[in-house]
Amino acid sequence: MSKRLYIVTAVLMIASMVFAACGPTTTPEPTAMVEPTTVSEEPTAASEEPTEPATGGEPEVCTSDAFGCAVIKPGQTIKIGMGGPMSGDNAAYGIDSAQAARIAVSDAGEFNGFTYELDAQDDLGTPEGGAAVANKFVADPQIVAIEGHVFSGATGAAMPIYEEAGLVMLSGSATNPGLTQNGSKVFNRGVFTDAVQGKFVAMYIHDILKLTKVAIMHDSTTYGQGLAEVVRDELMALGTEPLLFQAITPGEGDYTSVLADVASKSPEIIFYGGYAAEATVIVNQMDQSGLQDAILFGGDGIYGTDFIDRTKENGEGMYAASLVPPASEAVTAYNAKYEAAYGQEPGKLSPYSWTAYDAAAVLIQAIESVAILGDDGNLYIPRGALIDTVRGTKDYQGLSGVISCDETGECGSSGPVFYVVKDGDWVEAPK
Amino acid sequence: MKKFVPYLTQKPISTYHIIQIVLGIIFSVYLLWRLYQVFIANPTYGPDTWARFAISGIVLGSVYALIAIGYTLVYGILFMINFAHGDVMMIGAFGGYFVFEALSFVPSPTPANPEEVFLNAHPIISVILAFAVGVSVSALSGYLLERVAYRPLRNAPRLVPLISAIGASIFLQNAAQLLFGAQRRDYTNPEQITRGQGWGIPIGESTVILTYTGVLTFVLSILIMLGLYLLVKRTRLGRAMRAVAENKSTAALMGINVDRVISQTFIISGALAGAAGVMWGIHLGLVFHFVGFLPGIKAFTSAVLGGIGNIPGAMLGGLFLGMVETTGPAILGIDFQLKDVIAFSILVLVLIFRPTGILGEVLSEEKA
Repeated sequence: MSKRLYIVTAVLMIASMVFAACGPTTTPEPTAMVEPTTVSEEPTAASEEPTEPATGGEPEVCTSDAFGCAVIKPGQTIKIGMGGPMSGDNAAYGIDSAQAARIAVSDAGEFNGFTYELDAQDDLGTPEGGAAVANKFVADPQIVAIEGHVFSGATGAAMPIYEEAGLVMLSGSATNPGLTQNGSKVFNRGVFTDAVQGKFVAMYIHDILKLTKVAIMHDSTTYGQGLAEVVRDELMALGTEPLLFQAITPGEGDYTSVLADVASKSPEIIFYGGYAAEATVIVNQMDQSGLQDAILFGGDGIYGTDFIDRTKENGEGMYAASLVPPASEAVTAYNAKYEAAYGQEPGKLSPYSWTAYDAAAVLIQAIESVAILGDDGNLYIPRGALIDTVRGTKDYQGLSGVISCDETGECGSSGPVFYVVKDGDWVEAPK
Repeated sequence: MKKFVPYLTQKPISTYHIIQIVLGIIFSVYLLWRLYQVFIANPTYGPDTWARFAISGIVLGSVYALIAIGYTLVYGILFMINFAHGDVMMIGAFGGYFVFEALSFVPSPTPANPEEVFLNAHPIISVILAFAVGVSVSALSGYLLERVAYRPLRNAPRLVPLISAIGASIFLQNAAQLLFGAQRRDYTNPEQITRGQGWGIPIGESTVILTYTGVLTFVLSILIMLGLYLLVKRTRLGRAMRAVAENKSTAALMGINVDRVISQTFIISGALAGAAGVMWGIHLGLVFHFVGFLPGIKAFTSAVLGGIGNIPGAMLGGLFLGMVETTGPAILGIDFQLKDVIAFSILVLVLIFRPTGILGEVLSEEKA
């Protein structure tokens, strides 16, 4: 009996390891939205502020503000935090957003003798990473605003933590619609939502590509599944019933059996809701699974140089969504600055090079409008007022368009533009 | 060798046994009904799709089988489950990756193509080199693992080396992450065996592709498994391994250097894992620090399925698990995302109904 018990114990240990595995690519992500607690009216700032005796220099708005003031002493920097995937398969998205935000920070220059600093932390794009980074940021009293997070899953997990601490968020890339539908006061988004993106995707497949045999796959993440569901609903509203709606587990090396199942239904086009890392594996395995003639259509999570580098010839003719800023002098100047600083055109690594810049710029402008320079030389930034100011942003001329926030925190304006891989590069798809 | 005693004549039948039998009958009936549905009454998949499932299953299964043999060898000798075995596979995969990368930069111009690289000019040598390096690096890791993590704990209670194995596994994964970065790396195959290309076989309505890498993986695994079987059955080393597995103290009395045999077992199991790792890289392409985790667990499942300690059992278990993973969701009519659930449910079922595994356990008489 002890031998059997030993084996059963070992199996249970392995099973618990499987389910608790924290590997970045095998963790199943929650599909339900995290409900944040409603903003409490009691001052919770007592634990956030550094213990500063109430000198004559502290403005009275700090005591009346729901979250108190962030106090930046002379010599310290005003920090903006950013959480995104900086390592691993999806590093391109986090790195691109951080690079764009850094340009915004350096463009902002000095404010009353204080400089800005971007604190970009790696959250791996997962909900666990997002929560961990959020906990780190709320413990840092110099951080006054958060750009991000970059991925929707991480943003959803981090939101309640920031909500409780009163840190304002403005994301240039988290597109899941549910993020602004849970009553959060701190979260704002400067990019289109997946509800908009999914609609455009369905319209493109139905009206422009005119393909009726559509299979839909997703990776069960907040973003991927959300987008896939929107595309499915929109396609059904347009009269095309998808052939199947299939989830995959990210991190598995071999998708040939799932793809063989998809191939048995002979789809003309597969819509994939998810990120480039898995999409490249799928595209590389499509030919041998019987899907030689099908094309893959992805959202903004697939676009980038990573996709092309990994799929090489297999990626020809595949579609993805990106953001194109309306042409303007500011955009041309920014593109030149980005290329000079990083040796690569913006919008190649990920679609967010412009919205990330705008998000940082809007945050900086809001900070400068509420910050008060005290008589003692400290800079006081009332957190509650900052939250309201960012939410109240109206008619801000950003690179990606005019940014005006509605009462739920939706601030973005431009819709997605579709790109197709041609000769090893992303080109705009015919309208 | 323990002889398998028929289950039902062992002791009087209790309610627990009756429940097991009833559940077993229900499940078998359901399975037969599903098979009837899927193949005869309501065929959802054509023969081409089934062929694709079968090909994926066999290729994947042969990789699992190679890793499972490693688990079985170690368990047979030491009664411990080498949790770090999957990471030894990962080390082998990285070894092969670096060889291919290096060879893809070595120029070897030919009259036809002045830009040619060594990798594409001499594909066979490149593959042999990659395997050689992958296998040696893994074998070395297996040896070091045993010396550092397991030998000092030889006389400790059985749970202690288990925990040490988990610790070694975590250490290897994170060391790989620190050394090689967290991003996934693509294997650069020689262009003659590019992933995804193969022989097209028209079956049913479409052409089923039998990939070059798949055939290579399967054929090589069979050869390696045959080689290992011969090694264990016919050579002196094999005899020593069997003797130590049967009864360590008696083997020591017979003049066998038990420590050396154990080291050699770890070297062999490491080598097998390394070969499996290189095959994984060639066939599926992606290697990263965490790649050994899931195949390691599945291989352990196959080893238990086939009978832990039993080498043919491990081979059979691996192929069986590979096939079940790919065809199971299709047969049972459930979501393909649940294929891991199927694999582990089978493990639980086997442990309940036939804990000695399909081919029966082969363990020594002494319980260490």
